[in-house]
Amino acid sequence: MKTVAEINEKIRRGEAVVVTAEEMVEIVKEKGAAAAAREVDVVTTGTFGAMCSSGAFLNFGHADPPIKLGGGEIYLNDVPAYAGLAAVDTYIGSTSISRTRGMEYGGGHVIEDLVRGKEVELRGRGYGTDCYPRKEIETTITIHDLNQAILYCPRTAYQRYNAATNSRDETLYTYMGTLLPEYGNVTFSGAGVLGPLGRDPGYRTIGVGTRIFLGGAQGYIAWEGTQHYPGKGLGTIAVVGDLKRMDARYLRGCTIHRYGTSLYVGLGIPIPILDEEVARTAGTDETQLRTNLLDYGVPRRERPVVREVTYAELRSGRIVVGKKEVPVSPLSSFRMAREIAWTLKRWIEKGEFLLSEPVERLPADRVFRPMKQVAPVPLVREVMTRQVVTVGPECSIAEAARILAEKGFDHLPVVDEHRRLVGIITSWDIATSVGTGKTRVSEIMTRKVVTAREDEPVDSVARSLELHSISGVPVLNERGEVTGVLTSDDLSKLVGRRR
Amino acid sequence: MRRKVLLRCSRERGGPLLAELVKETGLLPHLLRADLTARGSELLISLEEEEVETLRTSSFLKEKGVELREIKRTLQLDRESCTDCGACISLCPTGALRLGEDYSLQLEEERCVFCGLCVPACPVRALKMGEF
Repeated sequence: MKTVAEINEKIRRGEAVVVTAEEMVEIVKEKGAAAAAREVDVVTTGTFGAMCSSGAFLNFGHADPPIKLGGGEIYLNDVPAYAGLAAVDTYIGSTSISRTRGMEYGGGHVIEDLVRGKEVELRGRGYGTDCYPRKEIETTITIHDLNQAILYCPRTAYQRYNAATNSRDETLYTYMGTLLPEYGNVTFSGAGVLGPLGRDPGYRTIGVGTRIFLGGAQGYIAWEGTQHYPGKGLGTIAVVGDLKRMDARYLRGCTIHRYGTSLYVGLGIPIPILDEEVARTAGTDETQLRTNLLDYGVPRRERPVVREVTYAELRSGRIVVGKKEVPVSPLSSFRMAREIAWTLKRWIEKGEFLLSEPVERLPADRVFRPMKQVAPVPLVREVMTRQVVTVGPECSIAEAARILAEKGFDHLPVVDEHRRLVGIITSWDIATSVGTGKTRVSEIMTRKVVTAREDEPVDSVARSLELHSISGVPVLNERGEVTGVLTSDDLSKLVGRRR
Repeated sequence: MRRKVLLRCSRERGGPLLAELVKETGLLPHLLRADLTARGSELLISLEEEEVETLRTSSFLKEKGVELREIKRTLQLDRESCTDCGACISLCPTGALRLGEDYSLQLEEERCVFCGLCVPACPVRALKMGEF
């Protein structure tokens, strides 16, 4: 049908037909893929989302007397940068956080400030050598003072990504944003029809060396992205470009509340419409783009799938989870994705941007394997105390005290007639009730109980105990019945066992 | 244009304040939010502009020992900074924040009840809450 060289020739002559992916969906719907392939030369895409695996290589040039920062320490506006390269090279990653301001300011913000031309404070330490005698440096730099500033992101532009919700009775703060309790909301990331890799899921036109829109300038696909997993439709790409030419409108440092810092990266890929097949995939509408809604309430690598959703549903702003309709937040900006696709379209129409043929295809058979762990993390059910004694809410405090003393427990779950948890009392609650005149367990119990699930890893319970300053939690099975208690004592024993 | 008004009275006072207000002044406020704080009970209500004056000049406030504050400042959206990502919209309990037809963020100030959930959730700190 068509070749990239032929399309470039049309671009040079100002005759190429360039449309955005949103427009392509309509064209394919109206005329079919075959006609669309004849008519359209290039489809432009765009995405603007937080991409944690991003950062920049910087070269400071040499001080006088010179210092070797490699092997030492480097801070940019108090944010630690990598000091494992040559004397004055570094890599500042988006998730590195300020030693003084914490999550409010991180590597992503440093990159944005550099692109804005702002002064950035450089502090560094070296150990001193015969050729690099200096041991400390403190100066301010701007992007213009750097020899090179190269944006390099090892993983961007996920082909698709799961949507998130939360089954727990507490709010969760995750990389998928704030997730309200009891399926209170849903979040998702990704530009849907405008998402670059999803327009060419077989990577027929996208590969190493493909010229792209990156941060407001021209950049390139450098390699397959980390965790590239084409078999599951989870392809990713590594991208590279000249930070000095980029625009802070398309590179924004950000803070994901109580999670960390990151960098919003604007990225767009042109898809040359070589034949009918590419036209068809480039024109797939959002009702055909599916992803899984996962329950982030389960702190495991394999989170349970709540249901399958389409991007059309997610985009509508409300989706049904269980019996209720809940609001949806995109985390990546569709308006910015659209702006990027339009900008790329204009560049190509004006002949300022030519397409490039990939020099290497992206691998189609790569799999994303889990981390090899030499010591598996124990689950709650393996560690919890099973001889759990419970009482009803009408039980007297004196009886509860007797049970705790006799069994040597500190926690007594309170359950209703169906063995459902309604509260908990501890020896501390009993101690402080003395002299208050209260007689029933229901009068002194804590009703909002922090709980654990049997199949949860103990690490997440340890975090929960620490967050709530408590010493134990009742463990519930999937029916909500109390099957055990996990205490800080159980966790202490575990540390002993691990050694 | 409806105005937001905060009514505050001491904790000890008790009683069905809103019902009394409706009965005695004949006004029909929208209840936006009710809190019991260390400073006392607080009711955030909205009224038409002229109704606020009616309430302010009525004897009701004095008799019941209720303090009235008109809310002037509100949730502020920095358009320059906002990327229209939408992280805030599913957290907004009243739909004051939503994406418009062109997928840009719309803030309908009248519906905001100052819960503040959206402020820290904004990745680029484009939302700020004015004190009241």
